[in-house]
Amino acid sequence: MLSLRVIGLCCCLLLAMPVQAFNITHIRDHDEIIESGYLKVAVYENYPPYSFMQDGQPRGVDVELAKALAAELGVELRLQWMTPDENFDGDLRNHLWKGHYLRPGQIADVMLRAPNDKAYSNMRDDLGLPAHELIHMFGPYQQERWQAAYDPRKIDAVPSIAIFQYHPVGVEEDSIPAFYLASVMNGQLSKMTRHYRNLGQAFAAMETGEVHAVMGTQAEIDWLLAEHADAGMQLTENAYPNMGKQVWDLGMAVHDSNRQLAYALGDIAEAMVLDGRMAALYADYGLRYMLPSYYTDI
Amino acid sequence: MTHRSPFVLTALVAAMSFSGLAVAGVTYDDINNDATTTDSIVSYGMGTQGQRYSPLTMVNDTNVDQLQPAWAFSLGGEKQRGQQAQPMIKDGVMYITGSYSRVFAVDARTGKKLWQYDARLPDGIMPCCDVINRGVALIDDLVIFGTLDAKLVALHKDTGKVVWRKTVADYKAGYAITAAPLIVNGKLITGVSGGEFGVVGKIEAYDPTNGELLWTRPTIEGHMGYTYKDGKAIEAGISGGEANKTWPGDLWKTGGGAPWLGGFYDPETNLLLFGTGNPAPWNSHMRKGDNLYSSSRLALNPDDGTITWHFQTTPNDGWDYDGVNELVSFNYKEGNKEIKAAATADRNGFFYVLDRTNGKFIRGFPFVDTITWAKGLDTNGRPIYSEDHRPGAPTESGDQGKTVYAAPAFLGGKNWQPMAYSQDTGLFYVPSNEWGMDIWNESTAYKKGAAYLGAGFTIKPIHDDYIGVLRAMDPKTGKEVWRVKNPAPLWGGVLSTKGNLVFTGNPEGYLMAFNAKNGEKLWEFNTGSGVIGNPVTWDMDGEQYVSVLSGWGGAVPLWGGQVAEIVKDFNQGGMLWTFKIPKPTPVANR
Repeated sequence: MLSLRVIGLCCCLLLAMPVQAFNITHIRDHDEIIESGYLKVAVYENYPPYSFMQDGQPRGVDVELAKALAAELGVELRLQWMTPDENFDGDLRNHLWKGHYLRPGQIADVMLRAPNDKAYSNMRDDLGLPAHELIHMFGPYQQERWQAAYDPRKIDAVPSIAIFQYHPVGVEEDSIPAFYLASVMNGQLSKMTRHYRNLGQAFAAMETGEVHAVMGTQAEIDWLLAEHADAGMQLTENAYPNMGKQVWDLGMAVHDSNRQLAYALGDIAEAMVLDGRMAALYADYGLRYMLPSYYTDI
Repeated sequence: MTHRSPFVLTALVAAMSFSGLAVAGVTYDDINNDATTTDSIVSYGMGTQGQRYSPLTMVNDTNVDQLQPAWAFSLGGEKQRGQQAQPMIKDGVMYITGSYSRVFAVDARTGKKLWQYDARLPDGIMPCCDVINRGVALIDDLVIFGTLDAKLVALHKDTGKVVWRKTVADYKAGYAITAAPLIVNGKLITGVSGGEFGVVGKIEAYDPTNGELLWTRPTIEGHMGYTYKDGKAIEAGISGGEANKTWPGDLWKTGGGAPWLGGFYDPETNLLLFGTGNPAPWNSHMRKGDNLYSSSRLALNPDDGTITWHFQTTPNDGWDYDGVNELVSFNYKEGNKEIKAAATADRNGFFYVLDRTNGKFIRGFPFVDTITWAKGLDTNGRPIYSEDHRPGAPTESGDQGKTVYAAPAFLGGKNWQPMAYSQDTGLFYVPSNEWGMDIWNESTAYKKGAAYLGAGFTIKPIHDDYIGVLRAMDPKTGKEVWRVKNPAPLWGGVLSTKGNLVFTGNPEGYLMAFNAKNGEKLWEFNTGSGVIGNPVTWDMDGEQYVSVLSGWGGAVPLWGGQVAEIVKDFNQGGMLWTFKIPKPTPVANR
């Protein structure tokens, strides 16, 4: 309704809103978390292979990381499943510093899959004020990029996205690939872009021949290929012009007042990256693992 | 009912149609005659045409300054967010909805609570734009409203107990209901809210007695409508005839166009008049074409939901100009000829007068001072775009490239708050806002852990000292007859009366009365929180009453941009106020 329904539009201003008096959110610091015996970690709901439920059990690489973080702190893990807001700013507000207005005060101690991007951390809002001053983003643990898979029965090769003028491509609705394919090349791919509730359904449509390719993040595509290894679908090697970022780094986020927690969690994640446990965790799910630039740009 | 005084009971008994304490329920005739009956309010819009005009004159321009509170009622709890409902009144009982999908029945004479119903909302619900609701529908002995998790709930008017409950759409897919349902001759008509998750809007008719679905009409081209007989769906034609005429690819499947503000019924043409929301996805470069029937007004046959005509105010919308604003039926004389017209003040800043028998454009004109996105309207009412003011394609330079300024801002020259029409002055009283927006592409945006080229935006007031403007507009000439400025944006509905009065509220907390002819402010009362509800008036026991809900919230504090500076100190609330002119006491007469 109202509307800026948008993926387009960033509502960084919300961060500047006064917290309502009846709705003051309690931030649990490191010692309180240890004493309470649990760590509350926010992960996205229904987002394989990062975080999802399978056979009644939480699964995914972010869930595995969350388990490791809690175990290393010596506490129990509690997950807070996130319904994504229009953009990441909304997720930060709903799950780290304010809580959603239907669930005031229900926030997590740490959020996974947070951008690890200086420009984003230091972003200013339209009044020139820091947009994310209530949040500390730290601990890069993965690099992500865009990836497509194609059906070799229908397409010989995908040298560039231009081939999608002639072949239907499946994407998740209201996702970045959906926006991208609808607008890139002056909209010439939009007539061949097919929208599905989620990428799994798009992949199923590729198996039945309804679409000839699908596009998502590298991890999503790797996971679907691994889950449907018999289908014979293949990775494309094309580039994604005008996509903004080709690769980006992901880490964790906590409330800005929670630096001690950030140091502890950052150390755990760093050790996992350096000793190979992080890569192994991705391999367990059939995913390629890419080191964040923090570890490679030296 | 034991709390009522003997005098009140006597008056009540006279209104009863059968013995005992049971009071006659609301009939379809009651609803169809609501605009002319003054002792009850049984339709959203104070008449199914939505004119919000009362023929009452007991309170008028000579005595409105004596208006005083009769009682006030708190909606209680911590759930104080925006209160946008229009009160309904029948047989001395007032029915309102509050934030968070709550319903209250209140004794209209004393403000005593008779019952309260709190919908239990599911955990994961993510309504986009605050937790407001705009009111109930009344029929027979039922009080029916829509919830934030997209259900219709019918409550018994005397007890507040659930009689039936029906899921209209899946809240998990992003649907909600915030508008008051519409009752038309044996049918309950509702739209749906939602738009962020690639949903498709629809208008549906239900049997008010049991909640059975009667027909469904998608508001986006390419989707099949259905009527239902004995539980079986019968195809009733594809909206717009076929898919892909005005949409690229399969984007029509997730095209938006939610009719979230509900609609009205014009008995003279037997048409439902609904508006539809903006198309999805937000950026217009992704969906070249007109994108029917987004940002449109639709006239539907109430029997089967067939679209009789449509008028699109913003084809290929790129500014988030929903087309949901109310289309109000009214008749006027052109020479000796009576014109059956309908008027709407769109988000996009233009006021449209349409022939409501066929949807043809009669005339259109700006009702705000600044419109940059279009140079004007052509002879068919189609905008003449000013392409410099269309937000850019998302794949263009991501390095905070060109900033596009567009006015009105996406919250519209007028938002949801309904205007009123006076049958005496022939004027529309339009609660409008003067603001614009900057939109720019930026490279640093993330969604679900994925980077993309987002867009930044900010709303900017156009003037230093005011945003809101209550305007009296002549629909025959496009002339503004008077205006009253307001520092904060206007977000509440308007009421006009034969007593030469216009009522509206403001976020500063005042309910105000103006002279309908010249805009002179005659009375105001501070309700303690922002007024963003719809004032109503009715008579009871020989006196005229005025009621309004007070409680700041809604979209402005969520999306206000620089406007947040102006409204940040307004407190939330939840209070139902009722006013009348006190009777002169014997002492005063001595």
